[in-house]
Amino acid sequence: MSSLDRIRTIYIKELIDILRDRRTLIAMIVVPIVLYPLLMVGSLQAVTIQAKSLDEEKYVIGVVGHEQKNLLEYMLQWDAKLVSQEHQANENEAADSEETKAAAPLGELVKIIAIKTKDALRVNIRERAIHLGIVFESNVFLKAIDQQNGVTILSDEADVRGQYVTSRLSDMFDRISNRLVEQRKKRAALPALFDQPFAIDFVNLSAPQSILGQILPLILILMTITGAIYPAIDLTAGERERGTLESLMVCPVPVIDLIVGKFLVVTTVAIMGATLNLASVTATVYFGGFDMLIATSGQGLPLGTMLLILVCLIPFAVLMSAMMLAVCSFARTFKEAQNYVTPVILAALLPGGMAALPAAKLEGVMLVMPVGNMVLLTRELLLGAPVQLGHLLTVLLSTTLYAGAAVAIAATLFGKESVVFADSGSMKTLFSRKLFKPMRLPSVAMSLLYVSLLFPAWFFVQSALSPGPNESAVSLLQTSAWLMPLMFVLLPMLMMTFWKVSVKQALSFKVPSVRHLFSAILLGLCMWVPAHELNLIQYQLLGMPQAFAEQAESMAATLQALPLGGVILIIAIIPAVSEELLFRGFLMGGLSSSARKWTAIIASAAIFGVFHFLLFKFIVTATLGILLGYLCWQSRSIWPAIIAHALHNSVAVISIVSPTTFERMGIKLEDGAHLPWTVLLIGCGAVVTGLILANRRSPSPQQSAIVTA
Amino acid sequence: MDMVFADNLVKSFSTPDGKEKRAVDRLTFRVGEGQIYGLLGPNGAGKTTTLRMLSGLMAPTGGRAILAGYDVAEQPQEVKRVLGFLTANTGLYQRLTARELLIYFAQLHGKTKQDAHDKADHLIEWLGLKDFALLRCGALSTGQKQRVNIARALIADPPILIMDEPTLGLDVLSNRIILEYIKRERDRGKTIILSTHYLDEAEDMCDNIGLIYDGKLVAEGTLDVLRKQSGEERLSNIFLKIIHASEKVEAAIK
Repeated sequence: MSSLDRIRTIYIKELIDILRDRRTLIAMIVVPIVLYPLLMVGSLQAVTIQAKSLDEEKYVIGVVGHEQKNLLEYMLQWDAKLVSQEHQANENEAADSEETKAAAPLGELVKIIAIKTKDALRVNIRERAIHLGIVFESNVFLKAIDQQNGVTILSDEADVRGQYVTSRLSDMFDRISNRLVEQRKKRAALPALFDQPFAIDFVNLSAPQSILGQILPLILILMTITGAIYPAIDLTAGERERGTLESLMVCPVPVIDLIVGKFLVVTTVAIMGATLNLASVTATVYFGGFDMLIATSGQGLPLGTMLLILVCLIPFAVLMSAMMLAVCSFARTFKEAQNYVTPVILAALLPGGMAALPAAKLEGVMLVMPVGNMVLLTRELLLGAPVQLGHLLTVLLSTTLYAGAAVAIAATLFGKESVVFADSGSMKTLFSRKLFKPMRLPSVAMSLLYVSLLFPAWFFVQSALSPGPNESAVSLLQTSAWLMPLMFVLLPMLMMTFWKVSVKQALSFKVPSVRHLFSAILLGLCMWVPAHELNLIQYQLLGMPQAFAEQAESMAATLQALPLGGVILIIAIIPAVSEELLFRGFLMGGLSSSARKWTAIIASAAIFGVFHFLLFKFIVTATLGILLGYLCWQSRSIWPAIIAHALHNSVAVISIVSPTTFERMGIKLEDGAHLPWTVLLIGCGAVVTGLILANRRSPSPQQSAIVTA
Repeated sequence: MDMVFADNLVKSFSTPDGKEKRAVDRLTFRVGEGQIYGLLGPNGAGKTTTLRMLSGLMAPTGGRAILAGYDVAEQPQEVKRVLGFLTANTGLYQRLTARELLIYFAQLHGKTKQDAHDKADHLIEWLGLKDFALLRCGALSTGQKQRVNIARALIADPPILIMDEPTLGLDVLSNRIILEYIKRERDRGKTIILSTHYLDEAEDMCDNIGLIYDGKLVAEGTLDVLRKQSGEERLSNIFLKIIHASEKVEAAIK
């Protein structure tokens, strides 16, 4: 029975199991279908009722002295006349009177109280006995064209009713002012447009999705999280709590298959839940007639947008399910799992929230920020902004990397002795170094976890180090050359030492056979030939970003000014050694501890490709990664891969720094030019010979021990 | 050939105060093909820990376990293929029916869908589970659950069965049914390790008995041998006498 068959069996069983659970059904179906419409209708009605009641309530306005009371009453009466005139005009224009009949005239709603002093007025407002106070400078209505009456309006901003009267009152002043200005212009014989040098019309072109685009990605995170929590707990901690875990662990099934099956179920349920949520919200908005509220231009949500959201849901669900599963695998009971889940949700919401800020952009570190990059990508897609293919791939591949690491962690923790048996000492055994067993290779989880933490960190270093206009590219290159051994080699070594992994074996520090050394030299010297041609094909298909071409040119100029030996050390050798030790040593070693040969080689090569961030070069880098991985696997030693990589890099450096060397051999490396067929033939022939040489695998230490014995 | 060989098994745990406690202490025993081996001892003697190490659920701190020629630490997947394991308080998937559960475990053991169905139906027939095979496991009684559990352990027809307190908490009738199952399996040539603290049950069932106390094997042999050794007739008296003796020895050493 193949792994896929097993995963399918597990998937089907777990899906049936979880869908038969009443709690899942309630969380997944009842909540969205009943609760959302209820909440939405309810809260909207509450808002409408509150607005209506404000229109119907009685308000108290305080003035100082009876003369001012008369003045205000006069103004209110006049305003009422102005309003009714406006209504008639509107009704003549259009029958649409929805808005105009909104509220009764202000005069009918207010009661005016004359108070003796201004101070008493203030006290009354603070005590909310009066909603608003008004003080006129002059006690009479001033109509002359050169006169102005000062008006002070006192209110408590925290009082809803005070605010309501204030806004109604300022409307009143606007209307009366306008009328007075018209009269003044007539009396002064001024044209109608005298005080209106501009006729400004603000046109809002925002699509209906725009508001949604800002908030929806965050809502999506919440929806998928809520969908994933319960199944993640039920399928991991639930097994242990119900006592089914032991029977499961004695079945001849690798833990990784169990976890992948469970992970797929959690993802499915999360997607189903989120889809139902989305459908319910959409339906409520449409059938409830609330689409005006969400869509600013009143067109409602296009169906295409909804489909787009559904597609965006999938990577969200994948990442969230993997994360949930990882933390829940650590838990022994439902309660414990729930405790672990809460901080994870908060941790996921933080980058999500950052990305939801209007100023955040899908660039730089945000491209690789877990969760945050998905939020931004979804937003860009919803807003219909053009998304670069490279950005899209970076987001999707890094999300895949993070999810993969989380699944690997889940597989390591799930069924672990100290998690299965509460009685087998405390959880401390997982971290107590004394109890670690020495290991030959790092675990998949360890290497994937480190690499997926390194990925955003390295991306950050790279973007922090990209030279600004006034910075010297050389010193930045040097910094990078120092950081690389530290981050790619030293930290993994420390990590392995702590977990008692044999560094020597994990990184394959074994003396290689002469055959494999020879193969490495052939590959290192000649891999640039097929790589060059592959690059050309890729440029023709995808095109080379202009910025990259410029950067490469300025880099070439910088490098030519430096001593060749130093350049080769910094650009060719140090990265080659560091990258090989990380990707072919630590990562491929970790993967090979439970994956098969080609899975380990291809997966580590793909991650190696992603790490180069230049996604239009992904295919070339990943292919090189496969060749180097093959060489390392066959020779059981890291050295051939290091030698081949360093030679390959050196050839590339020389081609940049001194193109004349190549020209002397009759090779022109101009943009877009294919290599002469003789060079092609020799180069590819050498690579094939190298691979044939590498084809015989070195015996494993045990085998050679038997031979010598 | 020995189907099961426990070779100097040791399992130590660290107690909360940081000390090390040996739950199983240099335990060695062998079980031949077609035998029922009774692992007897009071609660907390280390029976369950021993069985978990035999099945590969726990890694021994020292020693090794060989099942059907496979080393548990080196070839865990092969061991899992020859082993049926039944724990004392195994749960079942509440929301699956008994039949679905059996089919699922058959598939996990690598059977094709058709094979799994046939195997499940065969066991349902053979173990008399027909009346409740289509009910969800959550709705079964304790005795019915345990019968389904035994069917689950037998689903791949493994040559070795490890059963940890299979009759714990069952009424007399269910108890009898389950003991009959186990005997039938032995008669079909299976090697069975049975842990229990019901001594009369062991007297009735086991071909060979190992007495385990405080993590150590304090006596081993057929019932007759144990009788001769201790001069007692009934297993419970034998048991008490041997434990008593071993405590005396320990006190003397100290």
